[in-house]
Amino acid sequence: MADSPEAIRKSIRKYLIVGGILFLGTVLTVLVATVPALDIGRHGFDVYDCVLGLAIASTKAGFVAVVFMHLNDEKKAIYWIFGGALVFGAFLYLLTAWAKSDLIHDPLFYGDSKPNIKLGH
Amino acid sequence: MEIPYIVKARKDTGLTNSKIAIWLFLASEVMLFGGFFSAYVFMRIGADYPWPERTLPVLPGLINTFILIASSVTVVFAWAALKLRKWRQFQIFMGATVLCAAIFMCLKAVEYNVKFHHQAVRLNDYSIIEGHLDYKKDKDKNYIKKDGKKIEYNLINIKAESVIFSTVRFHKPWVEQILEQAEEQGSKMVLTEPYQGADGRADAKTTYVEAGTELSLDLLLKIREQHLKARAHNQKLRADALRCAWQIAKDANPGKRGWEISDQVGVDAEKLKPDMLTEMGAISFKIDSAAKLSFKPKNIKEADGQSRLRDDTVIKGKLLESPMKFHHVDAIDFQYLAMKAVQKGIDPMVAIENSWIIQNADFAKEAWEWHCEEVEKLEKELAKQDREPTLKDRYRIGWKEFSKKAEQEGMTDMGDWTILEEFKGPNYAARGEETFPHLAVPRGEIAFASKFVPQWNTYYAIYFTITGLHGLHVIGGALVLGYYLFFGRRMYETNPEWLANRVEVGGLFWHFVDLIWIFAFPIFYLM
Amino acid sequence: MSADAHSHDDHHHDPPFWKKYIFSTDHKMIGLQYGITAMLFLAFGFYLMMVMRWSIAYPHQPLPEWMSFFLTDDWKARWLSDGKLTGETYNMFGAMHGTIMVFLGIVPLGFGAFGNYVTPLQIGAPDMAFPRLNMASYWIYLIGGLIMCASFFMESGAAKSGWTNYSPLAGFADGQIVNQWLAGQTQWLIGLVCLITSSLLGSVNFITTIINLRARGMTWMRMPFFVWSMLVTGFLLLLAFPPLEAAGIMQLMDRVAHSSFFMPTGLFTSQTGLAELSGGGSPLLFQHLFWFLGHPEVYVLLLPAFACVSDVIPVNSRKPLWGYKGMVYMVLVLGFLSFIVWAHHMYMTGMGPVISTFFQTTTVLISVPSVVIITSLLISLWGGSIKFTPPMMWACAFIPMFGIGGLTGLPLAFNLADLHLHDTYYVIGHFHYVVAPGILFGLFAGVLHWYPKITGRYMSSWLNQLHFWPSLICMNVIFAPMLLQGMAGFHRRWYNGGDGYLDKIAGKAGEESANIFANTVAQHIDLNILMSMGAWTLALAQIPFVINLFISWKTGKKVESDNPWNATTLEWATPTPPGHGNFTTEPVVYRGPYEYSRADHDEDYLPQWVEPKNKTAASVSQDKAEPAALEDKSDA
Repeated sequence: MADSPEAIRKSIRKYLIVGGILFLGTVLTVLVATVPALDIGRHGFDVYDCVLGLAIASTKAGFVAVVFMHLNDEKKAIYWIFGGALVFGAFLYLLTAWAKSDLIHDPLFYGDSKPNIKLGH
Repeated sequence: MEIPYIVKARKDTGLTNSKIAIWLFLASEVMLFGGFFSAYVFMRIGADYPWPERTLPVLPGLINTFILIASSVTVVFAWAALKLRKWRQFQIFMGATVLCAAIFMCLKAVEYNVKFHHQAVRLNDYSIIEGHLDYKKDKDKNYIKKDGKKIEYNLINIKAESVIFSTVRFHKPWVEQILEQAEEQGSKMVLTEPYQGADGRADAKTTYVEAGTELSLDLLLKIREQHLKARAHNQKLRADALRCAWQIAKDANPGKRGWEISDQVGVDAEKLKPDMLTEMGAISFKIDSAAKLSFKPKNIKEADGQSRLRDDTVIKGKLLESPMKFHHVDAIDFQYLAMKAVQKGIDPMVAIENSWIIQNADFAKEAWEWHCEEVEKLEKELAKQDREPTLKDRYRIGWKEFSKKAEQEGMTDMGDWTILEEFKGPNYAARGEETFPHLAVPRGEIAFASKFVPQWNTYYAIYFTITGLHGLHVIGGALVLGYYLFFGRRMYETNPEWLANRVEVGGLFWHFVDLIWIFAFPIFYLM
Repeated sequence: MSADAHSHDDHHHDPPFWKKYIFSTDHKMIGLQYGITAMLFLAFGFYLMMVMRWSIAYPHQPLPEWMSFFLTDDWKARWLSDGKLTGETYNMFGAMHGTIMVFLGIVPLGFGAFGNYVTPLQIGAPDMAFPRLNMASYWIYLIGGLIMCASFFMESGAAKSGWTNYSPLAGFADGQIVNQWLAGQTQWLIGLVCLITSSLLGSVNFITTIINLRARGMTWMRMPFFVWSMLVTGFLLLLAFPPLEAAGIMQLMDRVAHSSFFMPTGLFTSQTGLAELSGGGSPLLFQHLFWFLGHPEVYVLLLPAFACVSDVIPVNSRKPLWGYKGMVYMVLVLGFLSFIVWAHHMYMTGMGPVISTFFQTTTVLISVPSVVIITSLLISLWGGSIKFTPPMMWACAFIPMFGIGGLTGLPLAFNLADLHLHDTYYVIGHFHYVVAPGILFGLFAGVLHWYPKITGRYMSSWLNQLHFWPSLICMNVIFAPMLLQGMAGFHRRWYNGGDGYLDKIAGKAGEESANIFANTVAQHIDLNILMSMGAWTLALAQIPFVINLFISWKTGKKVESDNPWNATTLEWATPTPPGHGNFTTEPVVYRGPYEYSRADHDEDYLPQWVEPKNKTAASVSQDKAEPAALEDKSDA
């Protein structure tokens, strides 16, 4: 990471630009979600909106991580630690999602709120 | 002894201790929020009810996002200022960061508060009514409890004839409440039968409490003490007797296995009887002139004739009408009903026509007809782009629709209020009951009722959990950063590099908190 | 005490008692605190099990006086029926036995105590990287444990939904309690959140210490296997616990805010009828989040035992650890794989065949690194000049006992076999073989091995014999029959040991019953008594250990030097016992951790810290000490 005073002075501009990008990204997400003319896919929320929204959010998150958290220039150990967490976090989500989608029965089978139980005689 | 690498980085790893530690901590935070965000996805995919899409007001969330982004910029500036040894600049930027945190939490508090006071109810036919409850009034004055809270019109009322307390489990505040209510109505609660029993001496009987003694907390406590004493005493006797019986049985049946002789072994209750003390697990009080007792729905399983509180207190008496009275209905939602109707192969429109609220509330019928026209207009509009209205467009009449309808009819013009309404919900006082009418829902029609809190559905559950936990992180981060701001001067003078390191570490945490919000904002407010 | 008068001008003066022994920031004292607390919790968990074993062996007979004399009559009246254990109380004891043993006993003993005491010494660090964080982590652990155990004396009793705390059962259990914060089931969750917080602080501290505080010349591949194990354990705790914390918080919300994270729609219970909840949640999600921790947790338990044994064996066989590098790589693979096997605990939840096959495959795969490690330990004995010192006896017993535990796990890894064995005593037998005679024996080896360093005295050898042999026999008497019973179909949660399934009339007449399962139960039910006797004898067998632990502190044989076992790792370079700051001179490491019986050296051991005869600095860099580490000195 840039530690010398000159390098820090230089990077201040960079921080401002990233801040601006984050603002714009936020505005963009809200516009896409609220202005009918910018609505992609079907009317209202659908999978396209979801992908677009998450893509913008991920980009923003990437900027924060890379620039504000200095991941653009970090030590190897840090990449291992944080990367490890991301990998195992992905395992947690993906394998659970897989397990929950590969079922031997219909999950909505028990979905009705009136239980099919006869009480008494 | 000194721990190395606190200020200076170790050469081969290139890192200070705290830098490694914070990244390790962030790694665990990734897993923590990974768990929560995964839960969000599975809650949403697995939801068997219409997920509330884009249901929160966007404006407060948007402002909060801006605030957090701004604070992320200022915190990195504060660090840069420290690195350049500019204390004054550091103070300004760090001050701005902490201020941002405070504003963020204030907005959050407003948002939460609005939801805590907003009631929803799901009827048996799956239609959902939202609004604010009326308060119980006495001569036009709100009825206020001891703790200063107003009592809402959402109580179960029982014409109680007698009350049976569980001697062991009765909950003191509830006993006091029952006593108070009876007293107000001039009724007395007296012990039905004397509490009388053996006192351990053969044939001797003592009356601990006379019949007709008035109910008081002290009395219950006294009876509890006596009962527990008796219970412990009797159990000890029985256990000893059983142990003895087993010894005899084993001696009599050598070589036999326990389960083969177990049915021959038992406690001879008759023989023990003289030594036993009388236990009294429940004790009954009569109410001389039947009094109306009211309970919060979550505390009672109500039934006509006999209702039961959660502390096992049994209230005997007739169940009175206990409607839930809405002061202002601000939304009627048929999405769930429509979904259920489709599942059962019924036309949703027919199901809605036959729903309780359309059948029983004129304003709802009128609003629904108006809404249908609006949907028709929207349908035509969207048809031009080959699109169609969403489930929410079709089946939900929200407060904005109610306001629009009223404004079309020329009832109110809110002017400047509208921005504030984006934060706090509709201004009921100004818009009046023409816009947001009153309604009493009979208890029997209610399937499930809740404020807009985690209980209402899994959406609000995950919303409050993630944003609440995020809020705690904001508070924690602000405390740490605030500490550097207010108490960092001394360290700055002695070891500025150390302070810069600490601010960097605090900043990393702060950015991570921002990062979580970057995802939380779209998934809760916009999707 | 004149501490106050002198403290400002004499900083070598002993800190006051409370600072030295109670709120200590010294990793060694914290390690001892962890150790003692964990052993007390282990004893308590053991007691719960002894009571449960009574109910299993003699379901119709009141608890004997020696088991219950210290309980008040009032407590007995509430929780026992005519002095007999009720099903509810059995559930309570069972849930708490599991919780205490896993979360409050073995993990703090292995990771908290040994990790804390030994790790900084072995890498040549003056203390942990964050001493105060270390103290906080102990105290949060203690508070969490006490909160959990306090619920035994509350109206609701302690948690009763198993140590796995599955929803929806755990979501509505104790629902009758008016103040949900005071329900045992809620207290369990609060305690758990405390324990997780403590573990997280601990693991952050450990990993930072290992990465950044290694002594000069202590390169990665010169770290003892012990330190590697602790590093991997740290990562497992760090990354596997948070999802359970998430699950715990959500379940807490379910309980106190009545949300429905894990509560399905239309939940119907016999107590309250149709639950007044929104529903729409996913009970399975809890299981996923729980076992995402639950399986790595097994290795969190196991690795410290591996760590201890891998230190004891080379010392006592006077041979280098066989295949050190391979073991290091395998422990890393083990750590990685342990994150992706969790759903083998959930074959019975209606998972489909594809995902089952995936988890089946990874589960079988993970046995490979375990076997490599255990085989390496075994081969390390081969051709050594083995000294059967007290710690060595435990280490040698560890290998076959853990072997049985591990191998009996294989059938459970396979979906088809698991359908039969799931939730039977076979499972109980399997993992108790791993944990009790396996892990616990490994930790006993550790206690005996480092005791001379901690106290300056050896533990008594004959008291150890008195402890070791009965323990070894009893462990097998308890757990081997469980495997048999399990295969016969005995369910793990029967509070009366299967009594309810007997056909008593046919049995008494000496006839076979028409009810085939009743016959099976009748054939195996007498094993219950044998196992229970074994369990109670095992309790007796621990008495010599406790006596040994205390008596040797004062009267044990004094050590002859700071390195009584003639070992090679750095902890033996410290004074005995090590003072605050550990090392008297800055340690420098010149070679690997297991240099025993080197041909080019007179003695049969060459410690890591001994300077090579043929010139100093040159050979440090020859042995690939980081040049950077040498530069450090000039900075300081």
